[in-house]
Amino acid sequence: MKLSTRLSLAATLLALASCQKKEDTIKIGLSGVQSGPDAAIGAAPVNGSKLAIEEWNAKGGVLGKRIEIVVRDDEGKPKTATAVAQELVSAGVVAVVGHFNSGCSIPASEVYDQAGIVQITPASTNPQLTERGFKNTFRICGRDDQQGVVSAAFARDTLKTQVIAVLNDKTSYGQGIAEVFKKTFEGKGGKVAVFEGVGADEKDFRGAVASIQKSGATAVYWAGMFVQGGIFYNQLREAGFKGAFLGGDGLFDDEFHKTTQGRADSVFLTFGPDYKAKPEAQAFLAKYRKSFGPEGSYSIYGYDAANVLLSAIQKAGSTDAKAISAAFRGQAWKTLGGEVSFDAKGDLKAAGYVIWTARGGKFVAR
Amino acid sequence: MLQVLINGLARGSVYALVALGYTMVYGILGMINFAHGEVFMLGMFAAVFGIGLCTTLWGTSLVLNLAVALVLSVAFAAAWGWANERIAYRRLRGANMLAPLSSAIGLSIVLQNFVMLAVTKSKIDFPHFYGDVFTRTSWTVAGARITLLQVAMLGTTALLCAGLWFLIQRTRVGIALRATSQDMRAAGLMGIKVDRAISGTFVLGSGLAAVAGMMVGMYQGVIAFDSGYAVGLKAFTAAVLGGIGNVPGAVLGGFLIGILEDLTGATVGSDWKQTSTFVILILVLVLRPRGILGERVADKV
Repeated sequence: MKLSTRLSLAATLLALASCQKKEDTIKIGLSGVQSGPDAAIGAAPVNGSKLAIEEWNAKGGVLGKRIEIVVRDDEGKPKTATAVAQELVSAGVVAVVGHFNSGCSIPASEVYDQAGIVQITPASTNPQLTERGFKNTFRICGRDDQQGVVSAAFARDTLKTQVIAVLNDKTSYGQGIAEVFKKTFEGKGGKVAVFEGVGADEKDFRGAVASIQKSGATAVYWAGMFVQGGIFYNQLREAGFKGAFLGGDGLFDDEFHKTTQGRADSVFLTFGPDYKAKPEAQAFLAKYRKSFGPEGSYSIYGYDAANVLLSAIQKAGSTDAKAISAAFRGQAWKTLGGEVSFDAKGDLKAAGYVIWTARGGKFVAR
Repeated sequence: MLQVLINGLARGSVYALVALGYTMVYGILGMINFAHGEVFMLGMFAAVFGIGLCTTLWGTSLVLNLAVALVLSVAFAAAWGWANERIAYRRLRGANMLAPLSSAIGLSIVLQNFVMLAVTKSKIDFPHFYGDVFTRTSWTVAGARITLLQVAMLGTTALLCAGLWFLIQRTRVGIALRATSQDMRAAGLMGIKVDRAISGTFVLGSGLAAVAGMMVGMYQGVIAFDSGYAVGLKAFTAAVLGGIGNVPGAVLGGFLIGILEDLTGATVGSDWKQTSTFVILILVLVLRPRGILGERVADKV
């Protein structure tokens, strides 16, 4: 046999083999931050999704095929997120559950949109994600223009705060939610005395703390993640600042209590309603803890997102993005977090943000 | 205003200690050791490990545990500094200057990723007890608040700088270091063990970085595998600002950058911190290409 014939034969065989493999499984991408400061909070939804997919596989998969997962770490960096998204697309995934950070989901969604792949994020709350007319982009969490409003209203109406300081971490998430908070707070007659951003790698907030104390603010809104949030909180208290410390869902991780040694008080943040007391959540919690240890705040969102996605694929009867997206919007879905349905943009029709507070080293719904 | 100065000096003392490592290595080898920030990070992890070890062995004891952690962290970082030079730089000494530079960047990535994969991807809390003891005591001077930790950081830095100055200017080791930095070949011909002088520079710089690492651990309370990046970059900037290769310049540059950052934060806003630092750097380099104290080439080590 001539070399070129042999090569082409090999290529054909290879192509056949890969075709064969494609027939056998349906690939789902799981992406999000799994290293760096957000590693703890970001691994939770990925694990939640893994659990849901295991359950589906145990029941025989989706559309009669086994589900294969492709996991990628975007390191919480927008640039890596686009690269990861392209990897997932070339790996042949039909849909992606991810990413975690808004700053990653937004650029990655462009890649998925162009490739015609369904994306559902368990945690990215920046409004911009679903505001660009993408037909196949969904989120199973609320938006910052919902949670920022809830926070600002709470600060103004319940805490009666007159003057507040707002600090953000200069990410898409932090800046977005800080601006919504400011707008609402000022709209309700309050005064934002300090409005600043600090880099996401900054760990010395003493300069900002001094400005806040000088400004006469009686409360602080931290628009960022829990690692910096914990350090910022400690340094505020170290300097003798006694006012309330408010934040968004990025603060919601038990690591916050490790950093603040369980002593955090007057902490108020926005998050979805408490699901842990529900009887139907108990099986999930038990299984999750057995496989991955203690659940994170976003574990359930990863679990719910994967479940809704797979149900939508099953319902659509195909892996075509258009069909899946139509199925997504077509009905209300039962999840552990409650019944959810999606609007035309891909957002939840109703996102129930509630105020949580820190008590005895734990977050409890208020 | 005084508050800004105090916070800036505390921040700057860390940059100063790390900058010394950059500047000493540059002085002696003419290369930028980009893995120095990672040595700082390794020192942090060793300190946390040391405190954890002591706590397991005999419980919590402020002075003893901190001392053990300090010794362990300095020794560990110094060993890494020595090893870095042996592994990645020594064989490239005569090569084109791009070779050790690339090697340094590669080493930095390897070390950072190794800690991420082998130790933890997440952050670690520096045992809060130790930082808290030092921050609980504080004084108010003219409306500004200064904590014992900040005083301790400044004091330690001053002490180490004085010690380093004495070592370089007044001891035989210092003569060997200075001679090597001025002319490596001639120093070798005069019977100075050049390899040992260079290794010594790395060990010294790394030890100082470890002390800085421990201070930052207590000051911020949280460490992670990427902690060395930002500090390393700022410290490198400080070394260049002061005049790279110049020891007093590195210290001056460190304090200047620390104060500048906090000053910008207080006047313009935290958003502009990085911008102002690097604008000043560019200005200084354009107007004085050798840095603020860069003229005194004879003193470089």
